[in-house]
Amino acid sequence: MRREEFLESIRHRTRYGRYQPTKAPDASWTPREGRGRVEIGDPPSRFLEELEALGGHGRRAEGWEEARDYVVELAREAGARLLVRWDVEELERLGADGPLRKAGVEVAVWRDLGDFREVAGRADIGLSTAEWAIAETGSLVLESGPGKGRTVAILPPVYVAVVPAERVVGTVSEAIRMYAGRGSLPQNLCFHTGPSRSGDIEQSLATGVHGPGEVHVVLVG
Amino acid sequence: MERTGTEERARREGLAGGVEGFNERARRALADPELHDSIALFTRKTLKGRAARLAELPDAPELRERAYHIKQETMANLDRYLGQMADAVEARGGRVFFARTGEDVVRYVGELAREKGAKVITKSKSMATEEIELNRRLEEEYGELGLEVVETDLGEWIAQLAGDAPSHIVAPIMHMNRHQIARVLSRVAGEPLPPDVRALAGFARRRLREKFLAADIGISGANFGVAETGTVCLVTNEGNGRLVTSVPPVHVVVMGIEKLVPRFEDLEVFVQLLARNGTGQKLTVYTSFITGPRQEGELDGPEEFHLILMDNGRSKLLGTEFEEALYCIRCGSCLNVCPVYRQTGGHAYGSTYSGPIGAVITPLLKGDREAKDLPHASSLCGACWETCPVGIPLHDLLLKLRNRQVEEGLAGKAQEIAFKGFEEAVERPALYRAGARLGRAAQRPLVRDGSLRRLPPPLSGWTDFRDLPPLAERSFRELWREGID
Repeated sequence: MRREEFLESIRHRTRYGRYQPTKAPDASWTPREGRGRVEIGDPPSRFLEELEALGGHGRRAEGWEEARDYVVELAREAGARLLVRWDVEELERLGADGPLRKAGVEVAVWRDLGDFREVAGRADIGLSTAEWAIAETGSLVLESGPGKGRTVAILPPVYVAVVPAERVVGTVSEAIRMYAGRGSLPQNLCFHTGPSRSGDIEQSLATGVHGPGEVHVVLVG
Repeated sequence: MERTGTEERARREGLAGGVEGFNERARRALADPELHDSIALFTRKTLKGRAARLAELPDAPELRERAYHIKQETMANLDRYLGQMADAVEARGGRVFFARTGEDVVRYVGELAREKGAKVITKSKSMATEEIELNRRLEEEYGELGLEVVETDLGEWIAQLAGDAPSHIVAPIMHMNRHQIARVLSRVAGEPLPPDVRALAGFARRRLREKFLAADIGISGANFGVAETGTVCLVTNEGNGRLVTSVPPVHVVVMGIEKLVPRFEDLEVFVQLLARNGTGQKLTVYTSFITGPRQEGELDGPEEFHLILMDNGRSKLLGTEFEEALYCIRCGSCLNVCPVYRQTGGHAYGSTYSGPIGAVITPLLKGDREAKDLPHASSLCGACWETCPVGIPLHDLLLKLRNRQVEEGLAGKAQEIAFKGFEEAVERPALYRAGARLGRAAQRPLVRDGSLRRLPPPLSGWTDFRDLPPLAERSFRELWREGID
């Protein structure tokens, strides 16, 4: 249907409808006791707590070296053959490629890949950083972009993110407001909160149904 | 208890063949103790989680109030916001199609599949496409393309394989237990699978992964659409939504026009309300915000992005006393608290949308005559309104729908005569008193254990489904005259 025609019929209904709803909910009906904003004391510790509560694995590393050791050890323990990672500065700084290869893990960097499906679909581990992390919910804020593949965080069964600790913000509201009013959004922005889960079969928790069942986050600093 | 083949077929026919016959289906559901247990397990767990998650949020009542007002403003200016959203999507290189009906959506998707030479389409859970039966119609109307349309939400996939319809907005196969699910998946696997949740989920992961990687087109719904930025917000827990929208070269969104919000910052209200109310989570595992097709220099993500804005009867509610029904964010809370839904489950409603919201929007979208029973499938207790995260006065809307049935002459002669008689009686006190005396005398042989269990026709319409408290032996007026002790 033509856009003008479609919108005109809607305009007509909104202009000539006379009904004014009167049952709007009113927050002042609810007692005011203890109301206010969510307070987050120490965002990085709260983030790790929330992530653990969801069945994820969180770790605070003092520096990049410690974070690198964590990633290499994780790959070794998982018996990984292929790790796929974002092509970003933070992960260059992490410097895990050499030690990983030495440990017998092939590393694919998210640039000049032939078919991304073949690489991300075959990888045992996905490695990325995150733009932000949200303390209130244990979420990572992932942006897509050149070098930052969406499927790195969703196709491999194990996913690990290395994130500078100063990027942990307090609440979901804060995270959304950082993108509100911004001129141009990334094509894909994702708040990624713990391992993939499903309760569809008898409300029993099944993890890793489609996305990674194992999620690790290392906060650096 | 095993469900026989005949029963299963009858359930399906009930769904495909209009939504009449609530009472009959409800009666069957009531006789199914397994169904009752499944519903109780899910609704109790979800309501408990919901209460805990809302209690953590100091400004939950304000969020609810804001949500209502944002939706009210959206609907009052829906044409402008839809135009704005379309412009924003096109500015990002996406394509926009305005679909007046479900048929328009089917044709757009079918022709797109033909143009792309598509074979496999993956879908993430979408009530809008359930509503228009997109899968069945694509396979029927575009049979020559040999399309394989695969639902990828675990529950929706199992429902699709079983030839069943979802029975809850959030938990589609709440009505099946793991033994039934194991039978369905064993048939697909070609070998017996144990009725074990991990084994069944593992099989689903392996099988659906092939589909994700092979898909030519990914179809999703939209939980919210942002007018300002052209962004579609999609939430899933399994990650299937993120796969459907990231892997295939083409992403098609089917979005009801009422899913719009004006500004990106409005999502602060809605994503929190949806997760906390719908599943008792602080945030859904994958909360994605998708804007147009992939950008320059990106290796994955869809090369094409199509947004279908679907009306399918929604716009006729704008500016009417039923407009608030469009504010719904499909969290399922009103189903979970409803004393009728909790007894009957979703299939009794015979429509895509069940529970109180289904009883409201089904007649509004399909027509009163098509869904005559549904506005009566409620005790009007108002629990739905109380729990609704956007404050839709569902019980009021149900009452208005009943009223509309009377005005349209759909309510039946008996009800009309009864209310006419009542009107006459209350206007003449002597007649009223005489009527009450007569009623008291007439009810005496019918009272059992303090209530009226069975009345003769035409009054049996009431007592078939409910007990009626008897008329008091002495009326208030009589007591008053004699002086109350």
